[in-house]
Amino acid sequence: MKVKLENLSKRWGKVVGADCINLDIGDGEFVAFLGPSGCGKTTTLLMVAGIYKPTEGYIRFDDRVVNYLAPKDRNIGMVFQSYALYPHMTAFQNISYPLKLQKTPKEEMKKRAQKVADMMDIGHLMDRKPAQLSGGQQQRVALGRALIKEPQLLLFDEPLSNLDARLRLTMRAEIKRLQVDLGVTSVYVTHDQVEAMTMADRVAVMKEGKLQAYSPPDELYDQPRTLFVAGFVGSPPMNFLDVEVVRENGDYHARRKGFDAVVPSDRGEKAAGKGNVILGIRPENITIANVGVSGEIYVVEPLGRDDLITVHIGEASVHVLSDPTLGLRMGQTVTLGFNTHKVQFFDPQTEKSLLWMD
Amino acid sequence: MNRTSRLERGGTPPLSHAPSGEETSSIGARMRSRLEAYGFLSPAVLLVTLFFFIPVIIIFILILSDLKSANFGTLQWWLPVNWSLENYAKIFGNKFFPKILGNTFFYVAVTLTLFIFSSALLIAVLTTHINRRAGFFFRVLWLLPRLTPSVIYIMMWQRMASRAPHGILNQLLVPLGISTGGDLIQAAPWLFVIIANGMIGASFGMVIFTSAIEAIPKDFMMASKVDGASTWQTIRHVILPSIKWPILFVITYQTLSLLTSFEQIMLLTDGGPGLYKTEVWALTAYHRALSNYFGNNQWGYGSAWAVILVIIGVAAASIYMRVFKFDELVQEPKIDLL
Amino acid sequence: MTLKQKIGAAIPYVILVITVLPIVVGYFWLVLSSFSVSTEGLRSTGFTLSNWSFLREPPFGRGYPSIWRVTFNTFVVAISMTLTVVIVSSLAGYALSRLNFPGRKSFLSLTLLLHAFPSVTLLIGIYFVLRALGLYNTLLGVGMVMIGFELPFGIWLMKGFFDNVSWDMERAALIDGASRFRVWGEIILPTVKPGLAALAIFAFISGWNAWLIPRTFTIGAGQQATLSVFLNNFRSDTVAVQWGTVTAVGLFQLVPVAIFFIFTQDLLLSIYAGGAKGGT
Repeated sequence: MKVKLENLSKRWGKVVGADCINLDIGDGEFVAFLGPSGCGKTTTLLMVAGIYKPTEGYIRFDDRVVNYLAPKDRNIGMVFQSYALYPHMTAFQNISYPLKLQKTPKEEMKKRAQKVADMMDIGHLMDRKPAQLSGGQQQRVALGRALIKEPQLLLFDEPLSNLDARLRLTMRAEIKRLQVDLGVTSVYVTHDQVEAMTMADRVAVMKEGKLQAYSPPDELYDQPRTLFVAGFVGSPPMNFLDVEVVRENGDYHARRKGFDAVVPSDRGEKAAGKGNVILGIRPENITIANVGVSGEIYVVEPLGRDDLITVHIGEASVHVLSDPTLGLRMGQTVTLGFNTHKVQFFDPQTEKSLLWMD
Repeated sequence: MNRTSRLERGGTPPLSHAPSGEETSSIGARMRSRLEAYGFLSPAVLLVTLFFFIPVIIIFILILSDLKSANFGTLQWWLPVNWSLENYAKIFGNKFFPKILGNTFFYVAVTLTLFIFSSALLIAVLTTHINRRAGFFFRVLWLLPRLTPSVIYIMMWQRMASRAPHGILNQLLVPLGISTGGDLIQAAPWLFVIIANGMIGASFGMVIFTSAIEAIPKDFMMASKVDGASTWQTIRHVILPSIKWPILFVITYQTLSLLTSFEQIMLLTDGGPGLYKTEVWALTAYHRALSNYFGNNQWGYGSAWAVILVIIGVAAASIYMRVFKFDELVQEPKIDLL
Repeated sequence: MTLKQKIGAAIPYVILVITVLPIVVGYFWLVLSSFSVSTEGLRSTGFTLSNWSFLREPPFGRGYPSIWRVTFNTFVVAISMTLTVVIVSSLAGYALSRLNFPGRKSFLSLTLLLHAFPSVTLLIGIYFVLRALGLYNTLLGVGMVMIGFELPFGIWLMKGFFDNVSWDMERAALIDGASRFRVWGEIILPTVKPGLAALAIFAFISGWNAWLIPRTFTIGAGQQATLSVFLNNFRSDTVAVQWGTVTAVGLFQLVPVAIFFIFTQDLLLSIYAGGAKGGT
């Protein structure tokens, strides 16, 4: 099923939950809504679910406007952060509750519940109450309950954030696999950019109720359209430096006090002559080199595979991912090479990209 | 209160390309949802209408009339021609009016200070500073007067105070020469009215103060002990400031309760002994309107007394709602109706 | 511990024991008197079981209803009041806590205001309502008035409990396909069982103990009497009070409350405390 949001807004008096969201979700697509808490991603999801009524705009399922359709008539399944299992019912009763409401015959109910339970690998837990299950098991029951109706749209509201890190990894893979196998259109709300990037076909980044970007993960990573997206996506986050881009002898230079880097002309020309602009570069695109910009190491934080080092360049500072075998120490002076093929430029006023906005 | 204004706002304004029929489905859905809400409420609304709204309307008409048993059925009290402010002239002209007013103030003020505030606080502080189980035990005992049928509870007090040789107190007081063996309620009616009511009222304050004291972070108490504060200093500088709001709540709430309650006084002294010795405002209203003690139900006149209490009560309640931030108790629903 | 410390630790107990003494003594006398020919102070003048003969034959003479009739009346009033208050309050409390409809806020402030309304005022007006409905001097009328009086408290108590139920659970049920009414009955009510229990206990005890309302709207110790009315009639009779029988009947009335109380004291204490937050 396709989903389409048109100028969708939700306001409570002056409080804005979602502001004019336009977005298409293709049949069978897995879309993540990504953003910090309070950005409107859950509000939007709840409008899709039919729990909140839009203040303005339309929600279409396969071109049909569903604004006034009750949640139960939307044929959706939803998984919540708190699992939202019914504490007084067993796992079996929880999973089969949607069927019970549809007055499904007992035999069929059992068969379908069994099928879902097998899929979720919780067949042996069906007689237990939620309080007797671990967090991961509860989330599997919740997933089972969402799937049993064979919904045309699956909604996830931060389903993994209450789980511990290891389990989160397992469940992440399982949900992704399940979604592909079932081919059901899915919307997944999360504040964890790794989750969004790894699971989704497309990621919608939101901030303060507004849609900031909506694109596939790699595009989001390589071609961030706003300063916010650039800073929010990627870990450790992108470095930002205030620079001025000037053309000298046919080359484009990004300059500030104590910093001078030549940038490729296709990128440089879009930022040149605009006065102060913001240069963005990811930590993995900066290396310890023989020639380049020199700076002083402020702190070294070992991450295991890499060291995250903070280097002061004049008044600015950048994060660099470097090889632990280099044995860098605090206070040491280093020379940094910038892989300028990957630099981004942003307008400091509008905070929009100078490279990717049409 | 912007967040509430969404109640008044409608659904989605129609866009030009909106499919037709959308508006009607919106109105239909809203109608259905309101009907659902009112369906949940209707039994409560029915009962509240029958036993709150209609009686209130009746009483506000009654105060203007002279309806009593003697003219019941003949006086058309609902007709404005029969209305006057005669009842109030009668109340303020009554020679016992100052006495009853004084009684009411005395009763409320003394019970409030001695029991609802002081005793309740004392018990709360003491029971939270001794062994947990023992503290719990004492609080349960204090709750008993509230849960005992008032008829039985008052019976105990009457027996406590009755004359020798039956009275329990006289068994102790007569040998000591303090009492001559007469009925102690006759001798000191206010003492017993206040203690009997106070012990019921105190349990309310006690329970609320206790939970407030137990909610004070342990670090706070520890810190004050580490700083070398005495128990009294801890109470004054740590406990009292932390339970300011519960104290205010209990005092306002109980003032209102005491002002309007009369059941225990009615059972214990019925306003006596003698003329109006312990008659308080609410009891006067009851006596006039509903008790044929004086051979006549004066509904109009009694209502006039009662309505003065209504005015005090409503005024107090609205201040009370403001002080305790009524608005914050009302959270907005997090599901829109369909 | 030094002697001084020991004395210091004992002081709270001494004060507490002294303050609860009237309550303990009162109850002691009640039990003593019900098994005594008569009492002088806290002394019994002789043990007897005859005070309890009311269980077999009508106490206080043939003209009055038997104790079982009165107990039955009280029980019917208390139980029907409990059931109705619990159902009506949990319906209304749910709507006020969870549903969005015009008038929600005014209804809420209204119930709070009603709670502060002097009962004497309402009693006068209700007298006319009951007469008009033909319910004066009937158990049904008495029961309905008591239900009405208990509602503001019940609605607020239940609203408080519903406020704490997870929204996600309710959303999940709506998505699963339940109507609001089924959500209320199958999902939400089972999760507020402690609240329902607390309200039921309060309602039952206040119904069982009630004196003022039955006293006002029924006549004397007739066939419509409840235990409190019945008892008070013989306590304040002009003829010499048969204290032994009166206390035995009183103890008889107290037993269900005491049993309730023993099993639910924990819950009751915490609900009373929670009342401060709920604004009751």
